[in-house]
Amino acid sequence: MAGVELKNLSKSYGDVEVLHDINLSIADGEFVVFVGPSGCGKSTLLRMIAGLEEVTGGDLLIGEKRANDLSPRQRDIAMVFQSYALYPQMTVAENMGFSLSLEKRSKKEIAEKVQEAADALKLGPFLNRKPGQLSGGQRQRVAIGRAIVRNPQVFLLDEPLSNLDAALRSETRVEISELHQRMGVTMIYVTHDQVEAMTMADRIVVLNGGYIEQVGSPMDLYNHPATEFVAGFIGSPKMNFIKGRYAVAAGTTTLGVRPEHLTIGEGDDTWEGKVTLVERLGHDTILYVRVPDAGILTVSLNGQHNQNVGDTVRLRPNPDFIHRFDDQGKPNAADLVQGQG
Amino acid sequence: MGRWVLLFILGVIAILMVSPLVLTVFTSLKPTTELVNPPWYPPISLTFEHYVRVWTEGGFSRYFFNTLLISVVDAIVMIVIASLAAYAMVFMEFRGKLVLQVLFLIGLMIPVTAIVLPLFQIVRSFGLLNTHLGVIFADLALAVSIFVFMFSSFFMGVPKALHEAARIDGATEFQIYRRVVMPIATPAVVTTALLEFLWSWNDLLLRLLLMTKDEMRTLSVGLLNFQGTMTRDVTGLSSGTVIMAIPVVLLFLFFQRHFVRGMTAGAVK
Repeated sequence: MAGVELKNLSKSYGDVEVLHDINLSIADGEFVVFVGPSGCGKSTLLRMIAGLEEVTGGDLLIGEKRANDLSPRQRDIAMVFQSYALYPQMTVAENMGFSLSLEKRSKKEIAEKVQEAADALKLGPFLNRKPGQLSGGQRQRVAIGRAIVRNPQVFLLDEPLSNLDAALRSETRVEISELHQRMGVTMIYVTHDQVEAMTMADRIVVLNGGYIEQVGSPMDLYNHPATEFVAGFIGSPKMNFIKGRYAVAAGTTTLGVRPEHLTIGEGDDTWEGKVTLVERLGHDTILYVRVPDAGILTVSLNGQHNQNVGDTVRLRPNPDFIHRFDDQGKPNAADLVQGQG
Repeated sequence: MGRWVLLFILGVIAILMVSPLVLTVFTSLKPTTELVNPPWYPPISLTFEHYVRVWTEGGFSRYFFNTLLISVVDAIVMIVIASLAAYAMVFMEFRGKLVLQVLFLIGLMIPVTAIVLPLFQIVRSFGLLNTHLGVIFADLALAVSIFVFMFSSFFMGVPKALHEAARIDGATEFQIYRRVVMPIATPAVVTTALLEFLWSWNDLLLRLLLMTKDEMRTLSVGLLNFQGTMTRDVTGLSSGTVIMAIPVVLLFLFFQRHFVRGMTAGAVK
């Protein structure tokens, strides 16, 4: 096992730089998730660590060894691809044992290691099947098994759940987290799904436009977003951003309030608006409320509520959880302001 | 109504296509006495005497071996060369790749007949006239471009992630080629084998040019023996043609499914 260190790492295609001055230290055994919108550079960064993309600037260290010029095979890493990338002509067992066969390990050793991984992933009954005869979830487990068998220093996962349906995705999410706890190996996971990032990561790296916006634990990012972008990206439903008179009254450019920090209430410190849409999820009720001068605000109410479209409601922001951002999208301070009525 | 018209047109085309083959088979099986009948008359009493004569006295047993040897070697070597070149073109980055691609493209554009004389000089300068090797080299050089493009179009359909996964697994480029990419390239391999075999089997020009000794001749050149300036051995020519056609027809029937898949590879996603 090993940690990974990125020092002033950058990536250019010709004259176009797509990743800028990335500095990050990933500890041995840590589960780090790269998250960000499409095109932010998270997959490119992962592929640079894997050795599939050339590093054009800075240093990449794996286990304190400079890895910039090492081929993927010399880096002792394993990777799980979004498309599974299983060899279609090989059986599950052959897929999982392929890397070991390349290392010229004995057939007995390969069979033992494959069986061990297959048992851990409940793939035992499928070892003689070809990938085409498996479901999406089974294929994904084979791809994970192929990585486990190698016992790598670093485990890389590139959006491994995005081809699975919602139920299977949450199931596999748990399995990957358990796997990390069991193996204790360094894992770097790329996703655009902030729920995956929040639920699995020890630390999240939020990328935007080729820059790191913020690095921190899931709760750090949720409670103390370093930028307006992070505030909007982390949390579901996403944070409400309010400009105009309410923001000016609070002495800032933009106010940020998470939907779960808005409640229905009365009094001067509330904002009046009209319900435009209601989503009833059973455990939560999501209201979309048009507030004059603030736009449409999302409100997440715990439990079941009886508001309907067209109702007038008054929203009270929880004063302990209001974020203020300046015109650069940076927080004014770690301050909390009283909502204005 | 439209369907019947279409069937009629297709039927006429089919008859036009098949009739030369049928007439050839009829003629090859007729005793000499029946040759006075019109050619579309089926043989009344079947005989294989012309086949025996062509095979033994006509030297076709030797020609058949020569043709088979050249065609099989052509096909096998072509698969190896073209697939390796295409693999490099599709999966690897190297200096001069674009130049090489342009050269292959030029190779597609130049007709054999335009370079027959320089080709003859080159083969002679290597001392390979009247050798199987000379013809094999010429065959490979002249057709390699088209098969590189065929393999390239097939390889482009192979997900890049497969290649990357194999690199991560620790495979070298040659191991990826041999163990990951080629096992799934069966349609392209079969198509290349069939087409190269067929072209080599049927080619007349290069064999006539590069192999003048009788013991080196191939079937296509051997057929010319039955045709003089003033006379023509129709039964010998017909049975020789059938002997020459049978292996190719059998190969196509056997590998038809793979062949069609190979020809259309890369056409759609």
